[in-house]
Amino acid sequence: MKTSSMTARTLDAFARMSIGRAFASGIGMVAGGFLVLLVLVAIFAPWIAPFDYAAQNLMNANAPPGWPHLLGTDEFGRDVLSRVIFGARTSLSVSATAIAISMAAGMTLGAAAGYFGGFFERAVMTVVDLTWSFPDILIALIFVAIIGPGLTSTTFAIAIAYLAQFTRLTRAQIVRLKRETFIEATINLGAKPSHILLRHLMPNAIAPVIVVGMLAIGDGIVLEATLGFFGLGAQPPTPSWGAMMSSGTAQLFLSPWVIIFPGVAVAVTVIAVNLFGDELIRALDIRDRLRGS
Amino acid sequence: MILRYTAQRLLMLIPVSFSISVVIFMIVYLLPGDPIDNLLRVGSSPEDRAELVAQYGLDRSLVVQYFVWIGNMFQGEFGQAIVLRRPVADLIAQNLPYSLTLGGLAFLFSSTVGMALGTLSAMVRNPVLDRFVRGFILLGSTVPGFWLALLLILFFSVNLGWFPVSGARGWESLVLPVLTIGFGGVALVARVTRVALLDVQREDFVTLLHAKGLSSGAILFRHLMPHALLPVVTILALRIGWILGGAVTVEFVFGRPGLGSLLIRALGQRDYPVVQACLLMLALAVMLGTLIGDVAQAAMDPRIREKKS
Amino acid sequence: MHYSSKSKLLSGSAIVAGAFLFSAAAMAQDVTVAFSASELGATAYNPVAASKLNTATSLIFDRLVEQDADQSFHPHLATSWEETPDGMAWTFSLLDGVTFHDDTPFNAAAVQFWIASYEGTENEYLVEAIGSVDVIDDLTVRFNMDRPEPNLLYNLASAFMGIPSPTAYAALGDDFGVTAAVGTGPYRLESFEIGLQTVLTRNDDHTWGSDLSENTGPGHIETFTFREIPDQSTAFLELRTGGIELLLGVPTDFLQILQAEQNIEIIQMPGTGISYMPINVTAAPFDDIRVRQATGMAIDQDGIVAAVYNGVGAPARNFLISSLPEANVDPDLNVTYNPTRAGELLDEAGWMMGGDGVRVRDGERLSVDLFTENSTEFTRLTQVVQAQLGEIGMEATITVFDSSTIRDEYRRNAHQLAVRGYDWNNSDILDWFFSGNRLGYPNVSMWEDAEGQRLNDIAMTESATAAERIANFTTYHEYVLSQHLFVPIYQPTQNIAFNSDAITVPDPVRGSRFRGQSFLDIQVAE
Repeated sequence: MKTSSMTARTLDAFARMSIGRAFASGIGMVAGGFLVLLVLVAIFAPWIAPFDYAAQNLMNANAPPGWPHLLGTDEFGRDVLSRVIFGARTSLSVSATAIAISMAAGMTLGAAAGYFGGFFERAVMTVVDLTWSFPDILIALIFVAIIGPGLTSTTFAIAIAYLAQFTRLTRAQIVRLKRETFIEATINLGAKPSHILLRHLMPNAIAPVIVVGMLAIGDGIVLEATLGFFGLGAQPPTPSWGAMMSSGTAQLFLSPWVIIFPGVAVAVTVIAVNLFGDELIRALDIRDRLRGS
Repeated sequence: MILRYTAQRLLMLIPVSFSISVVIFMIVYLLPGDPIDNLLRVGSSPEDRAELVAQYGLDRSLVVQYFVWIGNMFQGEFGQAIVLRRPVADLIAQNLPYSLTLGGLAFLFSSTVGMALGTLSAMVRNPVLDRFVRGFILLGSTVPGFWLALLLILFFSVNLGWFPVSGARGWESLVLPVLTIGFGGVALVARVTRVALLDVQREDFVTLLHAKGLSSGAILFRHLMPHALLPVVTILALRIGWILGGAVTVEFVFGRPGLGSLLIRALGQRDYPVVQACLLMLALAVMLGTLIGDVAQAAMDPRIREKKS
Repeated sequence: MHYSSKSKLLSGSAIVAGAFLFSAAAMAQDVTVAFSASELGATAYNPVAASKLNTATSLIFDRLVEQDADQSFHPHLATSWEETPDGMAWTFSLLDGVTFHDDTPFNAAAVQFWIASYEGTENEYLVEAIGSVDVIDDLTVRFNMDRPEPNLLYNLASAFMGIPSPTAYAALGDDFGVTAAVGTGPYRLESFEIGLQTVLTRNDDHTWGSDLSENTGPGHIETFTFREIPDQSTAFLELRTGGIELLLGVPTDFLQILQAEQNIEIIQMPGTGISYMPINVTAAPFDDIRVRQATGMAIDQDGIVAAVYNGVGAPARNFLISSLPEANVDPDLNVTYNPTRAGELLDEAGWMMGGDGVRVRDGERLSVDLFTENSTEFTRLTQVVQAQLGEIGMEATITVFDSSTIRDEYRRNAHQLAVRGYDWNNSDILDWFFSGNRLGYPNVSMWEDAEGQRLNDIAMTESATAAERIANFTTYHEYVLSQHLFVPIYQPTQNIAFNSDAITVPDPVRGSRFRGQSFLDIQVAE
């Protein structure tokens, strides 16, 4: 599928066709299926988890995996499996919300910069280029230091850390599309800027941004886990995969399962996100457009 | 041509560094809490407080404070750390070598191993090997650094006893941190090398070289590698900030000193001058990296220099 | 090219890694020590001016007197002392032949200079009662007191009263303790990398150890390297893997595992502090004393000792460690677990049990903030406390702060409950945490009370003798307890662990803490 054939497609059709196509490949099906399952697990966590994630049983602390605690218990005797299941809720929702905010803000900034150009573009891109080269973990850490620990600040910290990426990408798409003949024709026909931007430029720019957003959810999960590991994300007893590993550091030797299972959850999820994202890129045939930005 | 481009890029750095210095200066004023509170003796009077505020120049207007600060920075005068109570320059001098050693070795490790892996998967047409390398690339770019670090400690330090668990004494203590940071870097470099080699292999001159009867090895090292080298340099240069500052998690897990951990400690203690100096150093490194990356890209692709000049 | 260099790299590292295994035993003359978590973050080896000191300080500086575990005082740089019957003058005879690391002599003039240097520092309170210091002769000084100070010997034995070289102290100014630290102690400061490590080398001139050490002469070990390892579990792993030989604070969680290790021995000493939960009396619902009392009764101290700390240490029932005489208060004032009574008190206060297990009053849920510091020991305890508060229908939300931010929160009066601890083996800690002059921090309870301040003043400044001081502090302590300003939780033990293949450590340990006097007796294991 070539980019030119995408011009008239609405977001709906994009979702239906290309996501369907991504599922069609073997890897895409496994990865996508896993992600769908994970989202279901997160949504229905209270019904799926075998135990209360916060219920302490100090007499049965650090029990190795077995029955009835399939993945063992942590230092408070809490069921690790239940916490991993509820942790999926925290990790997925924080990451997805953060990336959604980041995408919305980044697309607005990037589209404005790309469309209007000039001094505004230069100013935005200067800041964006520098933050883009800064490690995401540092940006997030500084932000959390400013507004304090917790899930809300973690969400915004992740959103800010990836803002540059979406701004850059959207701008690059807009700049490229502006040069295409059908847009030039529309401009020459005297259409209003807002009309051009919303009706013609954005729908065409959106596909790569969404794919990158999809991949960024994976990065967001890792960043959330890292902040949680530093003790800055979910506050106890709320489980998140990262926070579980932070209380697990002390237990690395005593009960490695407390660290290993949440880490595996992060790794498998992020790998699935990446594999599915790759299939999406292939299905949409937008690899070249991503590389150019 | 490339010189002119470099000069242009250098000139562009002036407004950029000005804006970044303002941003860094302002970040500190967004932080809640006050380092003066940490300095004040318990139960001291408002006058004591005012005196300390004046001593650190925090009573002047922000604009004045900014120009005093930036002027001092230009003279290499980083000021006095408020909580750690010593010249910031000393703290930087104490921590920077650790960051540079770790970053440099991670850089070296990522580029050599990454290029080797990338070359292997591009040149040797073996589906099993290719899948292995691609799997490795995927793992390296997805596994959280701190988790990898913990697993490495569990396996190599606790179970095998090969390397120290933490600290920064001797080369032994560098092995696991370099591996941790390098793992992600290896994946990145391997991916870039692989793509670059696959691209260049398709070009006509390579077919020509093969037709001329050159051995595959000779073609690889004399003609293909230079093409793969530049993208690798570019991607690594653009990632200098990540290697220096992003090492913060690794420094934390391994209890290593460094710019990242100094910055995190100073953030926690609201030690303004240290936070500012650390961020400035990192920003400088990032700008340098971006410059090198851009120039390398321009050297690679003449279209870029023409377009921008 | 790349293949060959890669394999060379791998085989090379395997060989050197093997060599590293065998090198551990060879470095025995250099003993590496890890500080306990509570000692981390000292910024200067300056006993006079620093507000935070670590164990290495006690190796660089000597004190006039030393205190043993039984609270008795022993001569050190002062060979004897005499207090006038009215307590208004103390005369000290000083040890002859003592020199500082810079070869200047230790004498009466040095003591005079040193006491005067406390003026205007954070530690000024230590010498507050001393009006002036007279040099009687080269080796005799007299402290003329403004008021009797029964606590003087305790103060003199404190780490904050190590004696610096007057010459170096005057010359270095603010750099004293940072670039160099000069005392008379058994070890010299070789290097100090803040937040990382401190290297001490043996002072071969030192022949004046106190009678708390078997060895009075120079130390047995040439070099002590003190490392700051931020994470306690990392320090534990370092000890287990041979990265360090001595660990000054073993988290209780790890005691059992370490006890099972062949080459690791553990010394347990009585603790010098408690973990507790201050209650902000100005923040609703804790402005109601019944709610505060109920909160105290929610905490199952015995259960915590048994389950969280594997039975190591003791429950805390009041604010002071139980070895202090002032801890013997009216038993009714001690805080004990009684969830039934807690429920009744909350009912009386109008907080009725709601359907979801959280109490409600006028449609408002009994939901409170529970702050803690970002360290393994406190976050763990806090989560157990949170669960126990839940049992009486109080919903506590935890926020974990770093140690500096949490003080800002206290000063802003933004807190309700917090879990924290202190380390101090003297009853004047009551003044530190409950004086109305220090609201916010250290008075986290935000308690301001005329009667309390009156009893505080009496205890602090109007005690003529040790017995009077004990009585006055006991009264003050009892009044503090009657106001339910905090919940005592746990008295930890001091756990010191060492690698017995590498070193031997004095047994039993003399002194109230494992510090200078014990390091002098550490030897390389045969």
